[in-house]
Amino acid sequence: MSGDGQWTSGDLLTQALAGERAAFSALVRQHQRAVYSLALRMLSDRHAAEDLAQEVFLQLYRNLSAVSSEAHLTFWLRKVTLHRAIDRLRRAPRLESAAPAELAAAVSETQPADPLLERRLRALVGELPPAARAVVLLRYQEDLDPADIARTLGMPLNTVKSHLRRSLAQLRERLDEAADALT
Amino acid sequence: MSENHAIRELERRLRAALEAVDPGEGFTPRLMARIAAEPALAARPPRAGAVAGWLTFGLAASVVLAVLIAHEWQVRRLEQGREARRQLIEALRVTDEKLNLAYRAVNSQERAASAEHSGA
Repeated sequence: MSGDGQWTSGDLLTQALAGERAAFSALVRQHQRAVYSLALRMLSDRHAAEDLAQEVFLQLYRNLSAVSSEAHLTFWLRKVTLHRAIDRLRRAPRLESAAPAELAAAVSETQPADPLLERRLRALVGELPPAARAVVLLRYQEDLDPADIARTLGMPLNTVKSHLRRSLAQLRERLDEAADALT
Repeated sequence: MSENHAIRELERRLRAALEAVDPGEGFTPRLMARIAAEPALAARPPRAGAVAGWLTFGLAASVVLAVLIAHEWQVRRLEQGREARRQLIEALRVTDEKLNLAYRAVNSQERAASAEHSGA
């Protein structure tokens, strides 16, 4: 711990592994934004996303001894969040067609350059099949390259590339359709 | 607009649209309250060293148990062999006695028959 009572990032995981509740809490604060955002974009529902994110961190607390480093922790959180989200969508497919308004409300605190277009894009991403949606989120929200996406989702690299290619084509097509409908 | 430029523009817009959002201030306190409320979770998570220690202990105990079981099995096999040998010897002894009795009976009958013949 540093002089002002804050955990330094280097020993945060070590202290949490030693059972320090305050260190675990700080770890959660550090990663909650990424975990919650992945859950939100996958499920398109704020309450379901919060519930899923909480479950992921509870699972992390139970299995913390299996985490070996900061990089492993980030990898583990992304993997568990997306796999749990895909499982939920399989069990309750109605979440897949959640209202885009939920998404818009969830990000109302941000100041996007083109709010209408970005809202439309988020809604279209929410309409992609779950596996393709997970690939797109890891690529454009988490900024991972295709090899890391393949590792995180346990997917062949070519499948990841194919999901990306098809998803981008589908998004372009749907955006063009929407633009044509407006003119 | 070229194909590549259009794709790059779409990717730029996707990155902006998918910017991460925060779940709000109450997220971590709610999670920590859930951890504190569940007795099984409230206990300290096991350290990696402790887990490794238990694994080593479990492995050593398994090896000792396997050696004891193998030893017990070997002793039982030896005892079964000894018992079979004892029963075989006993059976041979009984057979030998019966054969002696039969031999004596045949001999005594032959002697009686020859004495009777010579007397006549």
